[in-house]
Amino acid sequence: MNKTSIISFFILIVFLGIGSSWVINKANESNSIPPPIMKKIPDFNLMNYDGKPFSRDSLLNKISVIDFIFTSCPGPCPIMSKNMKELYNQYKLHPDLQFISISVDPDYDQLDVLNAYADANGVVDKRWKFLRGKMKDIKNLSTNGFLFMSENLPAGHSVKFVLLDSNANIRQYYDGTDKASISILRKHLNIFLKNMNLKS
Amino acid sequence: MEKYFRFSILSIITTYLLIFFGGLVRVSGAGMGCPDWPKCFGRWIPPTNINQVPEIYVEKFNIVLAWVEYINRLFGAVVGFVILLSCLFAYLYFKKNKDVFFPMLAALILTLVQGWLGSVLVHSVLNPITITFHLLLALIIIGLIIYSAIRAYTVIKGNSEVNSNYPKKVKWLIFSIMICMVIEIIIGTEIRGALDMSRKDNPLIEGAILLKMLGSFKYVHTVLGIFLISITYILRNVLINLELSCSRLMLFSVNSMFVIFFLQILSGEFLVFFDVRPVIQLFHMWFSSLLIGLCVVQYTCFKISKA
Repeated sequence: MNKTSIISFFILIVFLGIGSSWVINKANESNSIPPPIMKKIPDFNLMNYDGKPFSRDSLLNKISVIDFIFTSCPGPCPIMSKNMKELYNQYKLHPDLQFISISVDPDYDQLDVLNAYADANGVVDKRWKFLRGKMKDIKNLSTNGFLFMSENLPAGHSVKFVLLDSNANIRQYYDGTDKASISILRKHLNIFLKNMNLKS
Repeated sequence: MEKYFRFSILSIITTYLLIFFGGLVRVSGAGMGCPDWPKCFGRWIPPTNINQVPEIYVEKFNIVLAWVEYINRLFGAVVGFVILLSCLFAYLYFKKNKDVFFPMLAALILTLVQGWLGSVLVHSVLNPITITFHLLLALIIIGLIIYSAIRAYTVIKGNSEVNSNYPKKVKWLIFSIMICMVIEIIIGTEIRGALDMSRKDNPLIEGAILLKMLGSFKYVHTVLGIFLISITYILRNVLINLELSCSRLMLFSVNSMFVIFFLQILSGEFLVFFDVRPVIQLFHMWFSSLLIGLCVVQYTCFKISKA
């Protein structure tokens, strides 16, 4: 009630202000470090659902989020595609970011099936690709490219989302069915997109 | 008895610091710093390097955010302990005085609920409605402790409101400030939540632009804020005219309230017109918790003046 308590209150405010600014700064710094390079993926030859070929070169100069799914999958795929769709919609202003879903059941997932799947997920532009190819190529890409267990495809595919940088390097894996993990992915995407904007 | 009073003051101070720290967790984005609860990455002491992190959590590890969140939990446990001790002293010295003991007991129970709500927050990946409840519950707890502390003070040092004689309109002014303030805080948390949602849907767009995109309820927040500082000014004038029949505590709390409302308008307009700076957001939230506390002080003063 007296002068000392008022002064000590203001000292407290200054102290809290400096302390919290320091913490916020540290947090921002730690949030702007991109995940490190894990490995470069090998070259591959697949086909996009519009019939055009898609290889490792198609990943260059773009940030990519990749997952493995199949359209008739009853289990985790609908959740993964729902989460992918949410990201696809949230980043509609960023053409430098592409989403890629690779079918692990190419026998069933012919181009027309993938087209229908894209429509069902509200895909209206080229930012989200659906790829198919020879089963052996897909298995090879999944096993040697992404280091996934690929013994029991299609049912035993991974539920991870993989973040690739503009040089086709794997940066980080995320759980495509877990909201908390995807919010980290969003944070990392923002770092890469920001850096890309700065360069251009 | 003195011991209880000292502990209740300690509870008030530490709870306010905890509210500040909780706000800091939010503005620094450390809410999910530990993906599990109560442990952090499966450990009682958070990991200090990535090798200690279990594989399922690897992408979520950020050492700064993990420690910010974990220190909040530890400090929360300390505050819970201080409130527990206060409650024990309240039981020892004031168990027959229901105005001292019961609010403190309620505060203790709600503090446990608050800890549980913290775990719900983590498991729901920071559900916005749960965040709002977490804040509102903290405000209720601090209100209960302040009420109990003033009541205990009255027993120990004598009634500070013995010479007070407040006209009926003081009561109505205090009540309208209280009601408007609760509404104002809820609108504030809504703005905050909507801003977060819109940031998710529009990544890499500046906060100030997103704030402009929000609906018209943000103007209600400003208008109600100006209304609140006006009522406080009226209340202050009424009290000054009462001269000796107004206690120093009452006048002090109304004066402080006026100053803090002024700071709130300044910081709020800064957020709207300049930049959504996290530090300013943090103080804007914290000041509102101080205002709620002052509101409770005024209510308690008015109540014991009638006793």
